[in-house]
Amino acid sequence: MRRFILRVVNLFRRAAAEREMKREIDSHLRLLQEEFESRGLPREEAALAARRSYGGVEQAKELHREARSFTGAEQFVKDLRYGTRSLARSPGFTLTAVAALALGIGLNTTVFRLYDAIALKPLPVAGPDRVVRVKRWFQHRLAGDIQYNFAYPEYEYLWDHNTVFSGITAATYQVPVSAAMEGILDGQRVTGHAVSANYFAELGIKPLLGRTFLPDEDRLPGANPMIVLGYAFWEEKLHSDPGVLGRTLKLNGVAYTIIGIMPRRFTGTDLFPVSSAFWAPLSMVRQLDPGFESDWRTQWREPTRPRFQIIGRLKNGISRGEAQAEIDALVRGYLSQFRQEEPTTAITLQKTAYFRSTDDIRFQAASAGVLIVVSLILLAACANVANMLLARGAARQREIGIRLAVGAGRARIVRQLLTESMLLSLLAGMAGLLLSAIAGPPLWSMAASFLRDIRGGLTELDFGSDSRVVLYGMGLSLLTCACFGIAPALRSTRPNFCAAGSPRLRGALLGVQAAISVLLLTFCGTVVSNLFQSIRAYPGFESHDVYALFSIAEAPHLRERLEMLPELRSVATGRLPLSGTFTPPINTGQALERALATYTSDGYFETLGIRLLRGRGFTHSEADVQAPVAVISESTARHIWPGEDPIGKRFSLDLNFRNQFTEFEVVGISADARFASLSEVDPLHVYLPSASQGGLIVRTQGDRGKALAALSAAAPDIDVVNLEEGFVSIQRGVFQALSVLSGTLALLAVLLAGVGIYGVMAFVVTQRTKEIGIRMALGASSHGVTRNIVLQGLRPVFIGTAIGFVAAAALMAVERSTETFPEPLARAVFAHPELYAELVLMLVVAGLASIVPARRAARVDPMIALRYE
Amino acid sequence: MSSKEKLPVLQGTLDLIVLRTLQTMGPQHAYAIATRLGQISGELLQLNQGTLYPALVRLEQQGRIKGTWGKTQTNREAKFYAITKAGEKALAEETRRWRQISGVVEKLLAEGA
Repeated sequence: MRRFILRVVNLFRRAAAEREMKREIDSHLRLLQEEFESRGLPREEAALAARRSYGGVEQAKELHREARSFTGAEQFVKDLRYGTRSLARSPGFTLTAVAALALGIGLNTTVFRLYDAIALKPLPVAGPDRVVRVKRWFQHRLAGDIQYNFAYPEYEYLWDHNTVFSGITAATYQVPVSAAMEGILDGQRVTGHAVSANYFAELGIKPLLGRTFLPDEDRLPGANPMIVLGYAFWEEKLHSDPGVLGRTLKLNGVAYTIIGIMPRRFTGTDLFPVSSAFWAPLSMVRQLDPGFESDWRTQWREPTRPRFQIIGRLKNGISRGEAQAEIDALVRGYLSQFRQEEPTTAITLQKTAYFRSTDDIRFQAASAGVLIVVSLILLAACANVANMLLARGAARQREIGIRLAVGAGRARIVRQLLTESMLLSLLAGMAGLLLSAIAGPPLWSMAASFLRDIRGGLTELDFGSDSRVVLYGMGLSLLTCACFGIAPALRSTRPNFCAAGSPRLRGALLGVQAAISVLLLTFCGTVVSNLFQSIRAYPGFESHDVYALFSIAEAPHLRERLEMLPELRSVATGRLPLSGTFTPPINTGQALERALATYTSDGYFETLGIRLLRGRGFTHSEADVQAPVAVISESTARHIWPGEDPIGKRFSLDLNFRNQFTEFEVVGISADARFASLSEVDPLHVYLPSASQGGLIVRTQGDRGKALAALSAAAPDIDVVNLEEGFVSIQRGVFQALSVLSGTLALLAVLLAGVGIYGVMAFVVTQRTKEIGIRMALGASSHGVTRNIVLQGLRPVFIGTAIGFVAAAALMAVERSTETFPEPLARAVFAHPELYAELVLMLVVAGLASIVPARRAARVDPMIALRYE
Repeated sequence: MSSKEKLPVLQGTLDLIVLRTLQTMGPQHAYAIATRLGQISGELLQLNQGTLYPALVRLEQQGRIKGTWGKTQTNREAKFYAITKAGEKALAEETRRWRQISGVVEKLLAEGA
């Protein structure tokens, strides 16, 4: 609105200045004329002489204008208005161009918006730029959540000795408990955190209602059973009832007093963005999680079991680097008194964000990959619009020629054309930002709904357009403007401009577009076909009747009790498929590789329905003593001992990643499974015996409802998750969503390519109508003309296709290298029949897009064609 | 076409010339300024009358001169420009600089002769 007013004022002012200028020049001319008249010249001649003496009136006006306005701002406004008019005159072109660009920019901005919300926006605490996470690095390169794991004595030592933090807090990882409240909740599974008493105070978070913990309320073990509730939990489960303050809530059977409610925006500081249902003081940690030993406060232990995450607030004037140096020295100094199995080699202080792993190379690689793919779409859109502009420039050849002839400078016209491009890109940028603002939240909630079941309630991310997002979108649109605008503007204003004489640039643009489209098509197509295959394929294990058991409280001899139930077909312990991987180095005597290793008890293969092809599974006693025997998958056998009998052969594993190999003897061969991920059969998979690692797994038989009822009667404190519903279908759902997304991207790319090729061919045909007419008048067949045009038009497309194919192969090589078990590249790229179908699709689209205009040209009546123009 | 060789106005000196003219002659319209320049230089200075305007606009924007509409002796309307306080100051400064530069140039040329 303000801009509109300013523009109107400008307009008015400009008109006034013009009037004033004219008045002054007129008066000057009259005075001159008077002078000449006084010398005796007749009136008309005097007027002419006056003009001659004055010099070019229009040039003088232009000089006057330039002096009048600052830095050509006035010209710019004029260009803007001219550009607006010129764009409004061809709404078809404008709409297509803006739509293509807006799609590209919108897509990019959406991705950036997600990235911004996940990785750049700080945690919702006071003064977030001073708040840091403490992270440790291990000698054996153990990585992941464990790097944030600190024992309580380490925390206490830092508290006592550091000089860089104004405050330092400790919080557990999320603790699952069953929550009960009279008349409202009956033993629902929720997750929360035990935190140091200063947690809320140091993070600067005021409660919405009630209070938070007082200093020292976390000291005395078992004292102060009180909790602060999370907003989402309070809203969903307690219906936002403020009356719950002061009432009690039972967690794992222990009564806690509700003392406060957190505001909506604060959902916790855990590594993964889950909404915490409650926070309790550390004094209650053993009641919440029986896994804590009684001496957790005093006894240092290896950081291999989840303990505490440390978040500190930097003192004013202390930089992150300075603080890091001190904390690093302190922790390592403290640790030097222990014999560590997992030595800590370094400590870093990390900026906080919703996801902890934003500095993880894999996260960054994945983000960069996604960003590359979506910027390719934008680039394709740019090539498209550039080609359209080029065609438009050729169509405006006469207009531009006239303006050049009457003395407009080339720079002036280039500036004018660029202003037009900028208008286009800014329009597209705004549309794109709008698009991303609309598309961001549903995209996230889709992603979140897949993850919810795995990790518990995810927090809502803040998708507001912060300055970063707006800057990104607008910067991107200006960049695209430079991308698609400059070459056509320069080309169209060449002094010896000749429209048909720019086929090379057009060809190059067509080639680029084809290359990008093929690149995207192959890449996305391969992804989609892989995903489909993953969804359809039998995973190699049973999932419908298999349940994982999560015990909330300790349950001794549970396995033995469950084995008595007739409703259960079998019971075992071990890691579930699709629940993470453990890939130690394997030495087979020939080469050192990484193999997926899974600890399993006796009965595991039967429980999961993994067929044993040869040999045997593990016995109870083998599992108990972790005997040096192993069952390997069929692929593993083929890979290591091709054509030999693997039973009785030996291999060794470096189970601790410390170059200490343990030897195992092969006693059985199992059928292949998609154990690490549904996307592929595990190339190397060894099963090792153990009765103590992993959770309980049962397989029901007969009626499922009855079996579940029997299960909960036998073990009331237990959570049951179906393998199919809890793991397999979730991954399938993610794959489905991914394939829809990839497919859409690929189709978009092909569509853009088709539109681009069609536009250019139609333009070329129009340009060459006369030539075609002459050819046909001289006896060329319409068939020959069509072929000539199509082949000429498609040459850059062929070249681009080849380049795109090579680029896709390279991209896939990069993508493969991030996987746990890379498939050989040649097989990944060339062994998919779908790939060839995609190439054919691309060429068919290109062919169609060029044949249609070519045929139109060939149908032209030679006489009309000759008279054309 | 005039056969007499005319000198182009040295870059940057036009402002100085205009200011000095206004200072010595009092408020003048553009035509009078142009005529005066011609007279003084004995028609030696080539000044396209139209090119005077950018200088006038510039000087007015800088606040060194101020233009008001009035009547000429022949009762024609014209815009009269007068030098302002700021203009006097700028003129003094520009004059000093011009003298410095021309002095240096003069010295250099004298040496070679």
